[in-house]
Amino acid sequence: MSATSEPDDRSAGDVNRTQEAILAAYAELIEELGTDDVSFRLIARRAGVGERTIFRNYATRVDLLLAVAAWIERRIFPRQDSPSIFDMPLTIRAAMESYDHRPELAHVVAETTMRGISGATPSPRRAMLEEMIDAEVPSLGDAERRAIVAALAHLDSAATWVTFRREFGMTRSDIADAAAWAAEAVLDPIRSRVG
Amino acid sequence: MAEGVDTPTAILANAAAALRESPFDDISYRSLGDAVGVSERTVYRHFPTRSHLLEGVAGWIESAEFPLPPFVTIPQFQDASRARFLAFDSSPAFAFVCARAASISPTGESEATFFTRALVAMLATNHPSVNERDLRRVAATLRYFASAHFWARMRTGFDMSAPEISDVFDRTVVQALSGLPTLSRTSR
Repeated sequence: MSATSEPDDRSAGDVNRTQEAILAAYAELIEELGTDDVSFRLIARRAGVGERTIFRNYATRVDLLLAVAAWIERRIFPRQDSPSIFDMPLTIRAAMESYDHRPELAHVVAETTMRGISGATPSPRRAMLEEMIDAEVPSLGDAERRAIVAALAHLDSAATWVTFRREFGMTRSDIADAAAWAAEAVLDPIRSRVG
Repeated sequence: MAEGVDTPTAILANAAAALRESPFDDISYRSLGDAVGVSERTVYRHFPTRSHLLEGVAGWIESAEFPLPPFVTIPQFQDASRARFLAFDSSPAFAFVCARAASISPTGESEATFFTRALVAMLATNHPSVNERDLRRVAATLRYFASAHFWARMRTGFDMSAPEISDVFDRTVVQALSGLPTLSRTSR
């Protein structure tokens, strides 16, 4: 699943081997138990480290949860590098499908981005979107540029999958279609202004 | 505690009050029990996990602090949503809890909120000729951009205030609706 060429765009990539083992073990347990409320003891045993090693790396439960959310988003739900902002509907479609394959992990990612400044960053790909839009549609005014980047960042997230599933009871393909459709709608007004 | 309020409601009201002082994760079951005058164990009986508590508090907050203004037309829906963004801005701690609660793995049967049902009904009435599938994806888009999720991402990820958030919301609503045929009565 992680066959993406990975530019070092996320600081969350800086995990050492011990942290990697801890986070992988924690993610595994979240899926098995259906909750992120997993004891440090259980995580330590699964990771093959001592409980104190976890505390040394992640002083609090919240630190550990935010670290695992970033790890999950990067490792389990990586995005393909898209060369064009107009590929975002496809990127979003693929992301929705991968969230749907790992629902427990998708919920963890969604929830940790909704905690404000003390949580996980809610729009990790904002800079990439801005670069693409500036390169392809340089004539956009500030307000319009910002609105499009913000709307695409919002759609390209686990919360989209959560909301479409929860509020509308949509299936995997319905969610993927609807999210991709929404991204197309957001991009429609700038299609003719490329270059 | 206030008379005539059942124990779970009293617990939720106290949890909401505590959110003014501390983040949700720092609110302990024991302190909630103390505040309401019941044992920690009783709190657990009503809210077996913190996910249950989070959902409960969010539900309490939604109805007490962020009541949804009624809407039957698209402009009224937009007004209602903008009013909520402003309300979120003035009580950010509450709004973040609502956004979090709407993101977790549901503790029970998940079902559409009142907001979603009102939105679907409004669209179906205003665009009677639209097929089910198109209607649902428009509704899902509008619902998602009117949500506490959207407010939270715009605030944290883009440093936007409610008026700026409303601007992005309005532009997206226009785009999402642009494909829909309008009321088939005499085209003006």
